[in-house]
Amino acid sequence: MTVDRSAAFLFMIAGYLAGAIVALIAPSDRIARGATAIGAASGSVAGLVVALAVLATGDRFELVRPDMIAVAGGIAIQLDSLGALFLALVCSVGLFAAIYGFTYTADYDGRRSLRFFGLMFNAFLLGMSLVPCAANVFTFLFAWELMAVASYFLVMTEHESSDARAAGLWYAAMAHFGFVLLLPMFLIMAPAAGATAFVDLRAGASALPPAARSTVFALALAAFGSKAGVVPLHVWLPRAHPAAPSHVSALMSGVMIKLGVYGLLRVTADFLGTGPAWWGGLVLAVGSLSALGGVLYALTENDLKRLLAYSSVENVGVIFLGIGAALVLQSYGLPALAMVGFGAALLHTVNHACFKTLLFLAAGNVLHGAHTRNMEQMGGLIKGMPVTAMAFLIGSAAAAALPPLNGFASEWMVFQALLSGAQIPKPEVAIGSPLAVGVLALTSGLAAATFVKAFGISFLAMPRSDAAAAAREPHWSAWTALGAFAAATVVLGLFAPSAIAAMYRIVESVTATPRDVTGGGGIWLLSANGVAAVSPLLIAVLVASVAFVAFASIRARGFDVRVADTWGCGRIRQTARMEYTSSAFAEPLRRIFSELYRPTEDFSVSVHPEARLIIRSITYTTRIVPWIEKALYEPVTRGARAIAASVRRLQAGSVHLYLLYIAAALMAALASAWWFE
Amino acid sequence: MSRAIAILFQTLLAAGLAPLVGGFIRWVKARLNGRRGAPPWQPYYEIQKLLGKEAVVSRTASWIFRATPFVVFSTSLVVASFVPLVAAPAGRFIAGDLFAAVYLLLLGTFFLALAGLDTGSPFGGMGASREMTVVALTEPTVALSIVALALNAGSTSFSQIVSRTLAEPAAALGPGHLLAFAALFIVTLAETGRLPVDNPATHLELTMIHEAMVLEYSGPYLALVEWGASLKLFVFLALAVNLFMPWGIAVSLAPIPLAIGLVTFVVKIGVLATAIAVLETRVAKLRLFRVPELLSASFVLALLAVLSTFLTR
Amino acid sequence: MFSQLVMLGSSGMLLTALIVLWRKHVPAYISAYRLQVWLLAGVTATVGYFTSDWRLFAVAFVLVVLKAIAIPALLRTMLRRFGAQPEVRPYVNTETSLLVAGLLVLFAYVLARPWMAVTDLPTRDALPIAMGLLFVSLFVIVSRRKAITQVIGFLMLENAIALLAAVGTYGVPLLVELGVFLDALMGFLVMQIFVYQIHETFDTIDVEQLTRLRH
Repeated sequence: MTVDRSAAFLFMIAGYLAGAIVALIAPSDRIARGATAIGAASGSVAGLVVALAVLATGDRFELVRPDMIAVAGGIAIQLDSLGALFLALVCSVGLFAAIYGFTYTADYDGRRSLRFFGLMFNAFLLGMSLVPCAANVFTFLFAWELMAVASYFLVMTEHESSDARAAGLWYAAMAHFGFVLLLPMFLIMAPAAGATAFVDLRAGASALPPAARSTVFALALAAFGSKAGVVPLHVWLPRAHPAAPSHVSALMSGVMIKLGVYGLLRVTADFLGTGPAWWGGLVLAVGSLSALGGVLYALTENDLKRLLAYSSVENVGVIFLGIGAALVLQSYGLPALAMVGFGAALLHTVNHACFKTLLFLAAGNVLHGAHTRNMEQMGGLIKGMPVTAMAFLIGSAAAAALPPLNGFASEWMVFQALLSGAQIPKPEVAIGSPLAVGVLALTSGLAAATFVKAFGISFLAMPRSDAAAAAREPHWSAWTALGAFAAATVVLGLFAPSAIAAMYRIVESVTATPRDVTGGGGIWLLSANGVAAVSPLLIAVLVASVAFVAFASIRARGFDVRVADTWGCGRIRQTARMEYTSSAFAEPLRRIFSELYRPTEDFSVSVHPEARLIIRSITYTTRIVPWIEKALYEPVTRGARAIAASVRRLQAGSVHLYLLYIAAALMAALASAWWFE
Repeated sequence: MSRAIAILFQTLLAAGLAPLVGGFIRWVKARLNGRRGAPPWQPYYEIQKLLGKEAVVSRTASWIFRATPFVVFSTSLVVASFVPLVAAPAGRFIAGDLFAAVYLLLLGTFFLALAGLDTGSPFGGMGASREMTVVALTEPTVALSIVALALNAGSTSFSQIVSRTLAEPAAALGPGHLLAFAALFIVTLAETGRLPVDNPATHLELTMIHEAMVLEYSGPYLALVEWGASLKLFVFLALAVNLFMPWGIAVSLAPIPLAIGLVTFVVKIGVLATAIAVLETRVAKLRLFRVPELLSASFVLALLAVLSTFLTR
Repeated sequence: MFSQLVMLGSSGMLLTALIVLWRKHVPAYISAYRLQVWLLAGVTATVGYFTSDWRLFAVAFVLVVLKAIAIPALLRTMLRRFGAQPEVRPYVNTETSLLVAGLLVLFAYVLARPWMAVTDLPTRDALPIAMGLLFVSLFVIVSRRKAITQVIGFLMLENAIALLAAVGTYGVPLLVELGVFLDALMGFLVMQIFVYQIHETFDTIDVEQLTRLRH
């Protein structure tokens, strides 16, 4: 079945534009919501068709229109396998987020401008879809900026809360910081003024001297790293993702930060090719910092969505560990082993998009039902929201990298990629590989603890507030999205060998390395030398059958179950105050890592004014402020404010002074024209 | 086909022997304390008794509480099926390698912690919190011990590591191996809830870790949880002896090597279990916030093991 | 066989240094130091046996008499004088100290690689371990508060240098060895006097108190 890919591509763009425009002019909120959903969904389906067509055949899809906006170089679209993978991610998450959003945004009926929301939502999806397709600088930057601006407005949906406003400000600042770094990066790579297509950049990059190549690499890492959310450029992530509506958070966390990974892969693996070892070392260091930092802060969070946001930082760190290992191996002339690293990173990108979307959408259901993001007020949700609880459980187990789900498969591959580092001929460099393995292992252990806390405190035991006790499932249409991603998580886990084989094919097409890695031996995931193997499918079958046999034999023996109160050690009643709280769960680890967290504690006792021995209340507050923000960002913001304050003195307010400025500027312009005559 | 039968036999052996190991350690400790002690096969009686009893489930608990014993039991048993016990045949009819074993056991712990939280009692929450802390801190040590072994053998597959150690017995006495064994031994004590990290015989709220998570379980559920825990101990001991001292293990599936493998395996496990019993008699349980120091020391031992392996390559 | 025994002994010495970072009570430090000196004597004797250099046996004997018997006895009298105050709240906490020690050994490995390439003695594999022991002893001196712990760190530094000499160059001439012993002994006696004086003046041997000398 041949697919007219240009028609599908144009239909995708038309779908998004139609959704945006119709939503803007819709007569009622309900129609606005519907138009948003239909436009976004149809655009996503079309985009998915194009992406799958490219992935299936491996042929590129091109669409070049140099006449449109010719002054900037025209619009050029080219979709190769790598871009198609990311386009498929964008469109699949976008499709289900759109369906989910239809009923989710019903809460905003009458209170907010759903028309503007619909416009921005479709614009966001349009921008994200165009980024992997872009084939020249102008198209790329246009799509990038469209994505950033649209998501800014989406983050500011609940703009009356000061948190959301601060989140929007940080997000806009960091996004433009990245943009400002992208411009010189492209400029350096472009060989001539008019040659800004990616083919030209590829040719130009190979002709650059080593210092320029390293500058390009550093700029790419900083710009795309800040979009992906690596430490220390991650500060916008834990602010912006919780503030946005849940399906937008899912899109941002699941897909938008992956476009940072896409950009980095495009520039380093595709344009620059092989580089010196320190590139990979830098990426490994950044990845380790993000992985550890992300999970450590996720562990102590009580806000459910912020916990998920920090977990995204951690997973991006894991992806960067895979990329870093691949770059180092590549620089030492071991391209077959490097392929394992790139493949593992791509697989983790897909897997994380899958389970993080699942988690955010389930969190959206929780927010809708319990009206709070604070885990300390939740509990017992599994009884009122069983489907959401199951979805969150699957997502948590995948995030904790438990077999046989997809998180385990990709982390196993990243472990194998890091272990291959031991084969590097220089032992001083090879010794970094066990250290990286240790970091990754610590990260995954802490992630398991984090997700036990996230699922256990929110969903299990007794409700800690009335809202949580009254929480119920939302409209059933929300379940389609949950079901789709839960199924995808399980399938990608069980059939991971096929997935990694597909990733290897994509890497092969980008780096042009021959694939002698035995990628995917039937139902087994294989290490680089093909000796170590794990089969998630076999594990799942074995565990299920043993559990079934145990269950059946116990039932056959016959056993009685009696329901009674939890053992109380002499207690009379059981209330929710006796359960473990979210802060209590994380407290041992918080104390162990207190040097890293530097928590501040505040203890105040208020006494009765007349009888000072009678205590009225005791307040204990403990706060963890990420000290990276204090150490790194506060000086920068203070400096910026100081500069702005000194520049403000120019605005004295007097009209005469402004006339003087105009006259002086005019005279300076004329004088300089005469000078340079 | 004989490979499948061998694996099935090995799994049944593990399920059958595991409670005996825990009972044996208890019996040796009792004898060292000057008591008679329950016979080493007492845990079988306990499992049988529990299977016949009524299970009491808490009102606040959900399906996770009822499903967890099956998850714990099945994950431990599946790990026992692909870890080398009596035989370490090469070939791809194996479900996983060392990392898969570690993460599969982590799956069991994950559900056990959730079940602890599910009851809504502070004991369960406390046990879950402490257990996840200990597990998170032992992960890097386990990973580095695996790396130390895998560096020598060239991969993380069990059969490869075993055959490599068999081929080079001198390497087994090198500092790399000894340090990795010490690190893995400390991790075994931590993960299976033995002294000095956790006391398997206590039920005082300040001192429990594993026991606190399973406090609410009764009847057949408790039987499965206890069996799963003893299987976990069995698996860790089997890993310790067979990866570091694999002499006697069967490399083919002929009857005579299998018989020799079985006997040597039982003897080696017995020796290591006795060592654990002696150690438990000598040391006191560590405070919870001293446990990270112990785990940090085991991490450094594993790091030094990796370094020594690098030096002697 | 030779290099394996030397490796075992050197690793043992490094592990005793880790014990000083792990434990909190001074008698444990003294026992660890004594064990370290015995291991050093063992390594020296092994080198002497395999290279048929009988002077190294004399060195080992002097080591045992001086450092494994005399100095620990002196340390114990110091301890009796001051009472056994455990090392609580060092500048770096225990887990971090152990991690830093591991990383220092890794760093020593990276540094020692060029030297290992130059020499072809069978004991060269123990060079990074000796360097690591040196760094860890320095770290002990820097990160602990009690003056007596710092003295023990200095003594371990001595051992590290002696180990380096033994595995790097099969020992140094006997005269140099004796001179170094004398130096160490003198240094130790001077430090002992200082620690006594500190205790007399400030009633504590916590060096944190000494920063008040600033005004």
